[in-house]
Amino acid sequence: MTHPSDALIASLVGNLQPVKPLSFARGLGYALAAAAFSAIAVVVLFGIRPDVLAGRFDPVFLIATGLFLVLGIASVVTVIVMSRPQIGSDHGGWVWAAAMAALLPVAGLIVSFGGGSDIVSRDSIAHGLECLMVGCGASLLVFAMLVGWLRKGAPTAPDRAGLLTGIAAGSLGIFAFSLHCADNDIVHIGLWHSGVVILVAGLGRTLVPRLVRW
Amino acid sequence: MRADEATLARLMVMSQKGDKQAYATLLTECQRWLTRYYGRRVAPAQLDDLVQETLMALHNKLATWDSSRPFLPWMAAIARYRWVDHLRRLYRAKECALVPDFAGQDDEPAIAARISIDRLLSMLPDAQARAIELVRIEGLSIAEASQATGQSESLVKVNIHRGLKKLAHMVEKA
Repeated sequence: MTHPSDALIASLVGNLQPVKPLSFARGLGYALAAAAFSAIAVVVLFGIRPDVLAGRFDPVFLIATGLFLVLGIASVVTVIVMSRPQIGSDHGGWVWAAAMAALLPVAGLIVSFGGGSDIVSRDSIAHGLECLMVGCGASLLVFAMLVGWLRKGAPTAPDRAGLLTGIAAGSLGIFAFSLHCADNDIVHIGLWHSGVVILVAGLGRTLVPRLVRW
Repeated sequence: MRADEATLARLMVMSQKGDKQAYATLLTECQRWLTRYYGRRVAPAQLDDLVQETLMALHNKLATWDSSRPFLPWMAAIARYRWVDHLRRLYRAKECALVPDFAGQDDEPAIAARISIDRLLSMLPDAQARAIELVRIEGLSIAEASQATGQSESLVKVNIHRGLKKLAHMVEKA
């Protein structure tokens, strides 16, 4: 007995070509390579922080860049996992990293309300905008790589995949720029560096879903 | 006889390498599985189209299966995604203006869409289902729905919002 799908199956079989399965390790490798390239580009174009170059590490710098790095990696891992559809996959690991990184803007707000920092001076705003723009620029390569990976894959939650692409790219972008930005003020980091993550996350959530629907 | 997970996974590995005979067997088994899966979720008239759409999706996304992971959850995820897409299209189609009546107009798609939507609404509390039906399907205003149901306008809005959120969650987790 012929089934309505028989002709389609015959056509699909006729068109079959060998495929190279999307590998988690390969996806992660590409993303980390893009992040490393971005960091190197920042260092080459803008220079590395003098204190880091001298081997002195400020605690706020270590904690902030560490949090952004962990959030970036956790989000990248989640995006790579999401590119391969699977019932029962757990995509929740990045939430804890995001909650930890969210302490930065919260701490920044608390300190700024306590008058602990000047955030409204022209210099402060200009410096902050520079961090925002260059941080976003440093996130572009990782963003493009993840979008390309998702288009090859089959994300079953494009909206969330877009958001996480933005979070991953923004976090790794500002991590890269933190290697240059010598400001250790928690208000500056909480406002402007976290602002990169929030801005690129919003862009990802808005732009990526239509690019990766299938 | 139904193919088991191990057999399907082996067929998939061979298909990814370009083995057409294995792929034909695999697609036939997938078509049977998808027919059973969608048989409980869509109107009969839409079944064949949805099965074929999903087979094409499987074909286009062959590379997204990893042999270290089970095959059936992968196929189920693709099937569920296509099902949600199908429901979205049905729902949007109901909001378009209907052409004027003419002899021979086919009402079956609208009826089939209604069957699918009714099945979903039956999973909600009565107040939420009624609010969604009156406002989003029959096109009443909030004020009219409030009069019809006896709920306040705020409650109608809350019931619609919660009901749609619950439906989206049920469909995502199905």
